[in-house]
Amino acid sequence: MSQKNITSDNHPHETFTQEEYMIMKDDLLRPIQKIGLAGKIWIAFLVMICLAGIYAYYIQETKSKYVTVSLRDYTMWGVYISNFVFFVALSLIGVLMSAVLKLTHFEWYRPLSRIAEIIAVAAIMLAGVSIVAAMGRPDRLYYLVTHGRIQSPIVWDILVILTYVTTSIVLLFIPLIPSLSTCRNHLKNMPKWQMKMYEIFSFGWEGSAEQWKILKKSVRILTIMVVPLGVSIHTVTAWLFATTLRSEWDSTNFGAYFVSGAFLLGVAGMVVAVFVFRKAYKLEKYLTPMHFDKLGMALVFMSWVYIYFNINEYLVPAYKMDGLHANHLLNLFIGDEAFFYWSVILFGMGIPAILPLFPAMRKPLPLAIIAIGVVIAAWFKRYLIVIPGLVHPYLPIQDVPDSWKHYSPSLVEMTIVSATFAAMLLIVTLFSRFFPIISVWEVAEGKLEGKDEIINYK
Amino acid sequence: MINQMKVYIYFLIMCMSVFFTSVSYAQEKEAKLTISFTQIDSVNVCKALVTSDEKGVKDVSVKLFVHRLFGLLPVGEAVSTDENGIAIFKFPSDIPAESNGKLSVIAKVEDDDNYGSLDAKGEINWGIVKNLSGSEKMERSLSASRERAPIYFMVTSDLIILGIWGTLIYIVFQVFKIKRISNANKKNN
Repeated sequence: MSQKNITSDNHPHETFTQEEYMIMKDDLLRPIQKIGLAGKIWIAFLVMICLAGIYAYYIQETKSKYVTVSLRDYTMWGVYISNFVFFVALSLIGVLMSAVLKLTHFEWYRPLSRIAEIIAVAAIMLAGVSIVAAMGRPDRLYYLVTHGRIQSPIVWDILVILTYVTTSIVLLFIPLIPSLSTCRNHLKNMPKWQMKMYEIFSFGWEGSAEQWKILKKSVRILTIMVVPLGVSIHTVTAWLFATTLRSEWDSTNFGAYFVSGAFLLGVAGMVVAVFVFRKAYKLEKYLTPMHFDKLGMALVFMSWVYIYFNINEYLVPAYKMDGLHANHLLNLFIGDEAFFYWSVILFGMGIPAILPLFPAMRKPLPLAIIAIGVVIAAWFKRYLIVIPGLVHPYLPIQDVPDSWKHYSPSLVEMTIVSATFAAMLLIVTLFSRFFPIISVWEVAEGKLEGKDEIINYK
Repeated sequence: MINQMKVYIYFLIMCMSVFFTSVSYAQEKEAKLTISFTQIDSVNVCKALVTSDEKGVKDVSVKLFVHRLFGLLPVGEAVSTDENGIAIFKFPSDIPAESNGKLSVIAKVEDDDNYGSLDAKGEINWGIVKNLSGSEKMERSLSASRERAPIYFMVTSDLIILGIWGTLIYIVFQVFKIKRISNANKKNN
């Protein structure tokens, strides 16, 4: 079956005529039509944290960084950099949950793809913000353009992040065009500017066969392109570490190790996002237990892949136990960081690798709880990759100030990190307040084409 | 008894002040440090001469340094002056010269009891001149400057960047094509 054009009612720009589509569109436009009190409080809360973050950044940049930030000569990369790695990892959610599933014809991607893509866009933007927060002299970023060497990983990092942000935004926007036309035609009593925005960005969408052809082709090209881009961006992030001579990062395994970790985080992030949107916007009809079942299985698979790379990353050097690396490993395994390290392994890999094997654990609530654990552990995992090794310097220096030997993020640092999280959630929340978070046409199209396994098992 | 004690303390203070005055007067003795460069049996030698009232001063510890980008590099151990006021340093022959082909040599007397701190500076062409405009600087490599990136690397990088951004620009044009189609349809109707 192909798409049918143009109905007889007053909305000539629709594409799908089925009755089901008309119901679906109402369900999916409802969250845009009305914001409840809880929604307003949530947005106000996020805005407040963001403002606190901006103020903290102002303090950081106007006062001595020796006072405002805990970074010292030994631990020169702190919580900003680990936060950056976390956000880059999270941004791969778009690659996995939208592009890979789409290209491999897993039809249940359809209601999930837009959620994944907006999280990807928000996460990669905040990854950029984290890098700027980590810079001693952000005003010198410009010199990277004028004096940067193309051979340097840091230049590639900036380049690939810029490219990935652009690609993700375009990939989010193009499938949005028909949805914007739906918004324009069906939303009522909305502010004028909002309707104007739908009008401009729907690019005169009429749903003609020619327009569909262009849209499908563009989405396909971008979907193929975003996979190697996403893998590159996180591999380059890994190379920022692996190309140094520091023993704890000196690994040929690092790119694959980072990418596999990102995919695990992507699945877990998706579970949490789907759970929240399903409850908050009452989308139970579209985000069903089947999705949790499938995501649960994906979580198990990705956990085992990540465990495999962790074994490579930790067990081989642990067998050799040489010099400074031994110092770092013993600190993680049985030293000061041991409790921290093993908790991350347990919640970030152990539990998601085992528990969702049981069907009862792939139900929405238990799976969401497991996934929240994975997301939190994933953040701390990046902390453990970046920070503890730095405390062991290559050159033993005598009479080092005490503050160099330990690192715990300052209040300013933690406020800025919290603000990056709030900003990410705010972008996703606001997006879902103005645009349908489930792509109406993609779901309707699948149904029309007889692809049943979109929201329920066949 | 108490009076005797007071007198004693008074006497002690007087003695101490006389002593410290004489010591501080001693420190203010004027001295001069000069350096000269010679060759003895084809060995480069740097001589530091400490004089006070035109006479050489014995037993003053002199240190020799070479000026480097981030500070002073000590040349050997400290040497004490002989009865003529001369400290002799054998000068090493393997120190890289500065960009002008010379070495900037500094002799120092640090916190001497009698003469305080002194220094003297001289330039000599005893350094090894490295030809940095030579082939190793011009060679293309991953660690070279941005102008000297390997050709294969630049070509591959540019192809990747152009390929991806070209595609993105093409896609953006496609979006405007959607708009054009709708405008054309409106005109036809």
